[in-house]
Amino acid sequence: MTLVEEFVVNAEAVGCHIHRGKAPELPDAGLSEALYGLADTGSVVLAASPAEPRANSLLPDVHVTLLREDRILPGLDELFAALGADLPSALAIVTGPSRSADIEQKLAVGVHGPREVHVVLLPPG
Amino acid sequence: LPELVQPASRFREIARGKLGDARIQTALDESTDRLRTHREDAWASLPGVEELRQRAHEIRMAVIDDLDGHVARFTAALEARGGHVYFARTAAEASEYVAELCRRRGAKLAAKSQSMVSEEIGLNEALERVGTKAVETDLGEYILQLAGEHPVHIVAPAIEKTAGQVAELLSAVGGKRVPPELEALTNAARTQLRETFLQAEVGITGANFGVSETGSICLVTNEGNARLVSSLPPVHVAIMGMERLLPTTADLAVLLKLLARSGTGQKITVYTTVLTGPRRAGETDGPEELHVVILDNGRTNLLRGRYREMLACIRCGACLNVCPVYRKTGGAAYSDVYSGPMGAVLLPLLVGLEQARSLPHASSLCGACTAACPVKIPLHELLLDLRRDLVAERVAPWWERVGFTLWSFAWSRPWGYRMTTRLARLGQPLAGLVGPGRVWSRGRALPRFARRYRDGR
Repeated sequence: MTLVEEFVVNAEAVGCHIHRGKAPELPDAGLSEALYGLADTGSVVLAASPAEPRANSLLPDVHVTLLREDRILPGLDELFAALGADLPSALAIVTGPSRSADIEQKLAVGVHGPREVHVVLLPPG
Repeated sequence: LPELVQPASRFREIARGKLGDARIQTALDESTDRLRTHREDAWASLPGVEELRQRAHEIRMAVIDDLDGHVARFTAALEARGGHVYFARTAAEASEYVAELCRRRGAKLAAKSQSMVSEEIGLNEALERVGTKAVETDLGEYILQLAGEHPVHIVAPAIEKTAGQVAELLSAVGGKRVPPELEALTNAARTQLRETFLQAEVGITGANFGVSETGSICLVTNEGNARLVSSLPPVHVAIMGMERLLPTTADLAVLLKLLARSGTGQKITVYTTVLTGPRRAGETDGPEELHVVILDNGRTNLLRGRYREMLACIRCGACLNVCPVYRKTGGAAYSDVYSGPMGAVLLPLLVGLEQARSLPHASSLCGACTAACPVKIPLHELLLDLRRDLVAERVAPWWERVGFTLWSFAWSRPWGYRMTTRLARLGQPLAGLVGPGRVWSRGRALPRFARRYRDGR
């Protein structure tokens, strides 16, 4: 299985919606560009910067993130090796929509963060 | 340390109440079973899990061997990034620092993300005294705050509450009846707390880990509340136990692989945030000020001596779920903050054996906690050592010491052993009427003493 295929399987397993090449038209969605993806966990890695405010992936009900296929790494070890000691002010590893099991241990989606996470896979380059 | 000091009678009294409550027994059984099974499955599907646990143990112990050095490196790295670091020796120093910060900012409202250390230092009460209302934003903690109660489990703080009880609490806040259904309850809490995130002048979190090399703190949640609390308010204060440091982000990767798998069985939590300093030039959100309060509060007492391994704990909660004592008593019997085997070891070490002397006995010494610990802390051995200290320090009551002295005298001699078993058989009819036998036989039949151990009759 390639890294991209592994990413898709794991991201869908945690409840992400995967799109290829083109972002879905969703009104009021927050848009972000992922710095990396992690195949092992199906995570997208977001780094805060002037162009990437934290709130875009936090406050809207729906979060759409763009991820280039060649930015997908195997997992956490490779992520921190790639980042080195030069870390952004806020690095968020996001794995699926916000969830909680605090009421009777039952899974509820969308407690504080987005209820839906859409990952748009873009071709390398 | 009023939050941590435990009267000797507390365990027995609270445990008795929980044992007699069938609903709580079911809730405890179901939730601990689920969390335990999820952890076992997650460990089983992680290649090389044993090597990873060993590696994690070594990383944690290396930090503890040079804790002062790590605190100094973390402080220098974070200050270079524009963050403020305050080292608090006591709970009072820590909560006063945060309260003073809130007072200086004129903060009416502080949003909090789940933090065990903030419970440990009694922060909410300290903030109330300077006129700052601290609102818990983790769903479980929010429910408990509305109920005026304390968390009973590290990763599932409100496991003893039913949907009906939650509905009553949330309905009282909004003034509108919320039906006891999961989706309605979640939406009600989301709406109520969204205002808190947007209005709070100060955001308060704990820290799952700190990284000495980079001055970063790492926060993990599933709900996203720690991300909101550390992103929206103009000031972010993170309170971190001094032992939470890791040397590098490569070490952080190792511990992150174990933390969520051991806590909830997830490969990774939904949100893992690594924060390095406050908002930078050109960024449109994130806190203008970042403060990290590093808390000692008795932790340096553990540095020398055989209990230092307890400082390796990463607060995953795995030991609670497998403990036959916790699974019956729940968390409240131990303390308002820490519970289960990790709490039974940690609390007496932080406050002194005298102040929590019932806790080393809250264990069957079966070793399930040790087997479940991702960083390989020998929890049941430490509990046994604490019992030894209780005897050595003569903290145990006189009748207990006399009783065990006589018992060990009698049973180290064949004639003494034979005599006691003969006496026991003679006294059999009385055994269920007085003393411990009476307590024991309240809900079950006493077994008969055998003539000889091998006979079984």
